Amino acid sequence: MNAPGPVAASLIAQARVDREGRLLVADPAIDALNSRAGGAMGVVMAVPQLATVARLARRLDIPVSRSVIVADEDVDLELWVRAEVDGEEVRLAISGWREVPGWRPAPTIGQDHVDADWRWEADADLRLTFLSLESATAAGLDPFALLGQPLTAAFLLEGKGAGAALPILDALARQQPFDDQPARVRASARPVMLSASIRRDGAGAFAGLSGGVRMVEAAQAETQEGLPASFTGGLDRALRAPLTRIVANADSMSAQADGPIAPTYADYANDIAGAGRHLLALIDDLVDLQAVERPDFVLALETIDLADVARRAAGLLGVRAADGQVTVDRPAADVTVAATGDFRRALQIATNLIGNAIRYSPPGAVVTVSAMHVGAAASLIVSDTGKGIKLGDQARIFEKFGRVDPSEEGGNGLGLYIARRLARAMGGDLIVESAPGAGARFTLTLAAAPDRRA
Amino acid sequence: MPVEAASAAMRAARARSRADVRLLGAIDDLFLLDEARLSERTRLIFARLLADTIGAVETELRRQAARLLAGNGAVDIAEELLSGSGAADRLMAAGLLRDEALVDALLARVQHREIADALPAAVGSQHEASLLVRLAAVPDRVIAGAARALLVSDSAETVTLPAALHHRLVWMVAAAIRPAIEDSATDQAIAEAAWRSLGAHDEAESPAASAMRLAVAIDARPEELKPLLLEALGDRRLSLFIAVLAHAAGLDFDQAQALVLEPEGERLWLTLRAGRLDRSTIAQIALALSDADPRRDIEAFADRLDHIASVDPIEARAAVALETLAPAFRGAIRALSRSERS
Repeated sequence: MNAPGPVAASLIAQARVDREGRLLVADPAIDALNSRAGGAMGVVMAVPQLATVARLARRLDIPVSRSVIVADEDVDLELWVRAEVDGEEVRLAISGWREVPGWRPAPTIGQDHVDADWRWEADADLRLTFLSLESATAAGLDPFALLGQPLTAAFLLEGKGAGAALPILDALARQQPFDDQPARVRASARPVMLSASIRRDGAGAFAGLSGGVRMVEAAQAETQEGLPASFTGGLDRALRAPLTRIVANADSMSAQADGPIAPTYADYANDIAGAGRHLLALIDDLVDLQAVERPDFVLALETIDLADVARRAAGLLGVRAADGQVTVDRPAADVTVAATGDFRRALQIATNLIGNAIRYSPPGAVVTVSAMHVGAAASLIVSDTGKGIKLGDQARIFEKFGRVDPSEEGGNGLGLYIARRLARAMGGDLIVESAPGAGARFTLTLAAAPDRRA
Repeated sequence: MPVEAASAAMRAARARSRADVRLLGAIDDLFLLDEARLSERTRLIFARLLADTIGAVETELRRQAARLLAGNGAVDIAEELLSGSGAADRLMAAGLLRDEALVDALLARVQHREIADALPAAVGSQHEASLLVRLAAVPDRVIAGAARALLVSDSAETVTLPAALHHRLVWMVAAAIRPAIEDSATDQAIAEAAWRSLGAHDEAESPAASAMRLAVAIDARPEELKPLLLEALGDRRLSLFIAVLAHAAGLDFDQAQALVLEPEGERLWLTLRAGRLDRSTIAQIALALSDADPRRDIEAFADRLDHIASVDPIEARAAVALETLAPAFRGAIRALSRSERS
């Protein structure tokens, strides 16, 4: 029984060690923990963190309280250890016995509640000890008068569900964080959502709350628009750097840059790099997704050359086309098709379309990219000779995460959705014509612009 | 020389000088003394604090100058000022931010904040308000007012720089936001905005000043010093701890802060001994600080604890007497002894 159940969490186990740190007596929980770490009675404690606390208490001759995390076979336990000198011996009292996940993300510096609009902290008596000054003032509170006052002087807590229970009470009773306490700002009656985590003192006792406030109007607007900006922003920051490093390292392993390795391992490294690149692309897409779904998303429109866009996009994908033994037929160098759009975003759409076409083309096939004026419109057309898309699936591929065959490799179901949103944000559109077995033909249409050379 | 060749030579020269800068930077970095090396976390928080501090001044100056210009009909320039940014980058590139006093003040603030955030909380008893909250509610209006002021200033996330430093920074930022096209009316507006910012700067609002006011108001008697210092630490109010120490030892806040932030702690232990604090108090303070500051070595401290505790308070006071002199006096003594050594 090395994973203590919830009952064990309230257990306070005792032990005594002598001046040299040898275990003299121990309650069963401590004895068992120490034995599993390879220790025994009469010898120095085998759990280094416990030995350290006991040694410090003896050397400093003061009580030492600490939270420590010890590995206990396949789980990690969070313990509150208190060591106190008693004559020639050191008395240990260990409580907590909470199982913790093996890995915890590093805390975000200075911000526990990253998606909160502002922060608050309260002491063990639930009196406010911190309020984000500017934000609290903006929400109609007088932080200067509220610091030192009970939490309820700032917020009118509201019940939740049928029994109108207060989540904060439940959380305090269980000593668990909460993120769903509805409340109103007392001064302005504005609805807010409170969240908080529990702060503990050195002995593991409740020392207060460290919390965030989310303004509820803002929260609703975000839910309507899908992913909140803070989510994608956080995702981007948290994942891009480690992924880039994983891809770079996997690439150099795959290239056997530091010396030869077995071909299977080189292949694995290649797979890792490929998967990493896929995830990086997904992050790019999510960041784009968040941008295109904002109600105020606009693009700076200028005169661009769609033929040039087509040639560049085809050029960017030259290596991938060669890998897939696909030929990309692009507009001749002297063709110009002036259109009104955003160059970078048009290039993004074209790259997406050509990339898809290459992915779904059999070896030896030809993907044709062309650009032309059709009446008052300028079009960029990508056609392939792949297996085509059934009529019933043609609407689905433009949906968010809409993939025809989710088991198929590559792609995350966001590319075409984003591409169409971008095309429409430029005042144009993106459509598909296809029949099973007869390939697919994607057309990006933008408003034609007067030819700059004319 | 043909034009292309000249530009190629120029590019090569630029690349060489960049490589040189990189090499010199790498040498500085590689041979940096370990004890002078900042942790990545400290560097990150420092960079953010520097950017925020400059950014706050920049925003204030741009807004106020733009308001003045727009009032005089110069709407275009006002809008250009409002939409501009990048004072910190310009000052950084010009090397103006390598300012000893500025770095010292901001770094002390960063380290102070890091330690204060990491201090283990110690709750006296359940269902009792924390120290500062209790002090804010005592009948003595001076103490209650000072405690309330510290609660407020501890909640402020920006830094209040010393007046002389703020003065220098405001003029640096003012110079950095001047538009590329010189115009005397614009300069006049920026200067007025700067004077306004200087006039509004109030050092008395800083946590250091509030904490000192509180420590002076409490005016702890020798027997009260021990519980007050320990409770301030347990309440994670490092500013109050420093202020109480400063008041008891006759130091100013910055001097006491320097002692508390020093990872070796030697001068801090002597100062505590000079205040007649006992072995167990010094050990508890050292343990709390070392739990909060990874640069500290608690085992090395434990080795020296018996010796520290045996230092006679009068000797300790003599040893740290120099610290209690006015900063300018100490500076002059240091400069004189430095020059006489060489």
